[in-house]
Amino acid sequence: MGLREYVIRRSIYMFLLVVAVVCFNFFLFRLPTLVLGVSPVDLMISEELRRNLTRDVLAQLYTRFGLVPDPDIFDWIYMFWRYIVNMFTGNFGISFVSQKPVMDELMARLPNTLLLMGTSSIVSIILGIYTGVKVAADPGSRKDVSAVTVALFIYALPIFWLGMMLLMTFSFYLPALTDGFINFPLGGTIDYEVWVSAKTDPLGSLVIAANILHHLILPMIALGVGGYGGYFLYMRNNLIDVMTEDYILTARAKGLDENQVLYKHGLKNAMLPMVTIIAMTFGFLINGATLTETVFNWYGLGRYIFESLFILDYPVVQAIFMIIAITAILANFIADLLYGVLDPRIKYG
Amino acid sequence: MTEKGKTDWRDSNWYIGITGFWFEFKKHKIGIIGIVVLLMFVGMAITAPMLATHDPSPNNKVAPSFLAPSWMSLFDPTGVVTEQRIPDPYFTSNPGYSIVGTTDGQFSSAHGDENSAYGQSHVNLTWSYTAGSELNFTEDPEGQLPDSGDFIYTTQTFDWEYDRLPSDVNITLSFGTTLTGDFASEFGGIMFRVFIWLIDSSGDWQKVYQSNPPYQHDPLSRRIDLNYFDIAAGWRGMVADADGNQEDPLDELTVAIGLAPTSNFETFIGDHPWEYYTGSVTVSITELKMVPYGDYFGLLGTTDKGADAWSQLVYGSRISLIIGILATALSTIVGVVVGMTAGYFGGKTDEILMRIVDFLLVIPGLPLMMVLAAFLGPTIQNIIVVISILGWTGTSRLIRSQVMAEKNKAYVESARAIGASDTYIMYRHILPNVTPILFADITLGVVGAILSESGLAFLGLTDPSEPSWGRMLADAQGTGGFSAGAWWVVVFPGLMITIISLAFTFVGHTLDQVLNPRLRER
Repeated sequence: MGLREYVIRRSIYMFLLVVAVVCFNFFLFRLPTLVLGVSPVDLMISEELRRNLTRDVLAQLYTRFGLVPDPDIFDWIYMFWRYIVNMFTGNFGISFVSQKPVMDELMARLPNTLLLMGTSSIVSIILGIYTGVKVAADPGSRKDVSAVTVALFIYALPIFWLGMMLLMTFSFYLPALTDGFINFPLGGTIDYEVWVSAKTDPLGSLVIAANILHHLILPMIALGVGGYGGYFLYMRNNLIDVMTEDYILTARAKGLDENQVLYKHGLKNAMLPMVTIIAMTFGFLINGATLTETVFNWYGLGRYIFESLFILDYPVVQAIFMIIAITAILANFIADLLYGVLDPRIKYG
Repeated sequence: MTEKGKTDWRDSNWYIGITGFWFEFKKHKIGIIGIVVLLMFVGMAITAPMLATHDPSPNNKVAPSFLAPSWMSLFDPTGVVTEQRIPDPYFTSNPGYSIVGTTDGQFSSAHGDENSAYGQSHVNLTWSYTAGSELNFTEDPEGQLPDSGDFIYTTQTFDWEYDRLPSDVNITLSFGTTLTGDFASEFGGIMFRVFIWLIDSSGDWQKVYQSNPPYQHDPLSRRIDLNYFDIAAGWRGMVADADGNQEDPLDELTVAIGLAPTSNFETFIGDHPWEYYTGSVTVSITELKMVPYGDYFGLLGTTDKGADAWSQLVYGSRISLIIGILATALSTIVGVVVGMTAGYFGGKTDEILMRIVDFLLVIPGLPLMMVLAAFLGPTIQNIIVVISILGWTGTSRLIRSQVMAEKNKAYVESARAIGASDTYIMYRHILPNVTPILFADITLGVVGAILSESGLAFLGLTDPSEPSWGRMLADAQGTGGFSAGAWWVVVFPGLMITIISLAFTFVGHTLDQVLNPRLRER
């Protein structure tokens, strides 16, 4: 089987997965209606308000949100059809709460989430690979054992708690102790005053960037530390595995020095599975980090999905869910392809 | 096994297996540490009712909010220590009494020991009245004294050695009431009141409590939470200012319990009860306790709602262990069944099951758990189900790959040759051979489940009346615990989550090293 056939097969498979996710999504967010018989309208409009509205206004509201009161089986089919069409045309509907298109709400938060997740992932990937390689050269050494212990510790650490501790130390106690010399903001994405004053400032965009960076540091450290353990262990174990291969022995027998063996022969091969993992990571970037974003009050998608769920803003939750799943599927696909392209040993099939 | 002569129980397969395993396991220091810590947590969960000092419900207010742990008072020698202050709370000796006003012999007091009427020591305050007697009704402009200028009270005095106000004060008063004559009639209860005053050493009276009908014969306990003005009036005069001067001459405070007629007795609905009432009112006080709270409370201080943090922390270990272990058990069972089926039968079955696994792997984990937890409701069972819905995929892949390697081996072939059914082969022959690799997976699964549970609790998606570590962190976060300077509500619950997951991680890592054949070969 050649590369071409492989790509086609994976594409078909990917498409089927997307369809499955779309259907699953439809039923997941209509579970209360299907199981408990709660009308989605009730979640949005209180009984009292509904009694006071005229029939026309109500009908308008229903069409606006794409809802059907007291649906029978044909209405369900109709709603499902509308939903499928909307999802594939990128029309995610209107938020129950803000009454704005869901897409606009998501787009306002997406850059923040990508910034936070992107920087923290890059930090943890680089650190993980670097220390993983350093340690794998000499497995079982004191350095190796302590690095593995630290990685296990990070694996066991609840990241949102790490965030709370960072916030408490660097935004509360240290500013008080050092008289404001070390001072990090108590959460948020940007200070409102900075945002307002920067509008009239000729160097406004720089001021805004600096302020956002200032807010970014603590959550980035928390997430970066949280991700580090996994990358480190994966890199280390991969490299140790690779270093037992025959071609490493051959390289050593040729008389190459140990650094060359490690970096030229070992690392190159150990990086292959790492590339897959990294591709997957970037697929899940959009996922955000609900807990960390909540702790730091970060204006991102992770916190938004949680808040929307709490106020029963289903169009929003449904849309975010959908986007996350599809990005993950795409990332999987790309990771598969990358692996195939990068590693000539892979036989498609 | 054929038996010739004596066989020792030490020769049995499982004993050799376990000793061999233990021999390998105990070489790993972190594995031993992990097991010891886990045993401590199990012990904590089992003995939680004994270790906890208070009801662990997060809403059970026992003291003011955000009090520091009591061991922190070591760093603050002048800090107020929380303790009961009344010198004789159960009236074991006669405290004596005082009468205000000039009336003749209407008021009296008596002391009863534990052999008397109530079966416990008490002090009686009695007002006996004969129709038409004189009473002096006045109005106190400050509203601190009763309507009647004539009344009886008994006192207890304690020293206040601190130069600080207490953060809150609770008084517990138990008394029973015996009414005779006309007072036993319908309106007798509104003709008198029981009061509590704080009298400072300058002689200022502050009323902190007055009773309301109905009254009953048996002692009934009332809990009085003093407001800020009461505390300020009682204690402020004993606190020295910057120059070391204080308003009151002495550092002592007197608590007075009094019995006084009300103005109803003079003017009730146009009648004049004082003209025709004859009878007596006896108030039997069995208990008087006063707890001024300092800045310190309990082993780990108090939470935002004034609940005892230590008790919640102890009970939190139960939730984490129960959910961690049961959720992992459930997802392991599902994962093993799916993985065995897929790996053993292969083909179409394998394809379908693995596509389901792929599907679950692209669904965003935490958001799905949040949605399901919100829909299903926050009971423990639901949280367990929600966590295991996504937890089994990794296990099933692991088992599948192992089974695919095992199923072509000779022993499976021979089992099939003698006519064993597929189910029998899968669970009696293959499963025992793939079990070792499962142990590490299970232990690490528990870590994931514990962290998921604490995350869900942190987002407020678990039962709010159930104490758990994630819930404690959620409360700390939601009420700005550390911006109130209360680091202890943030540090300890998170530390517990970290330690318990770290213990499971250590054990899992060690099991992986010992049992994973791929690693052992090296």
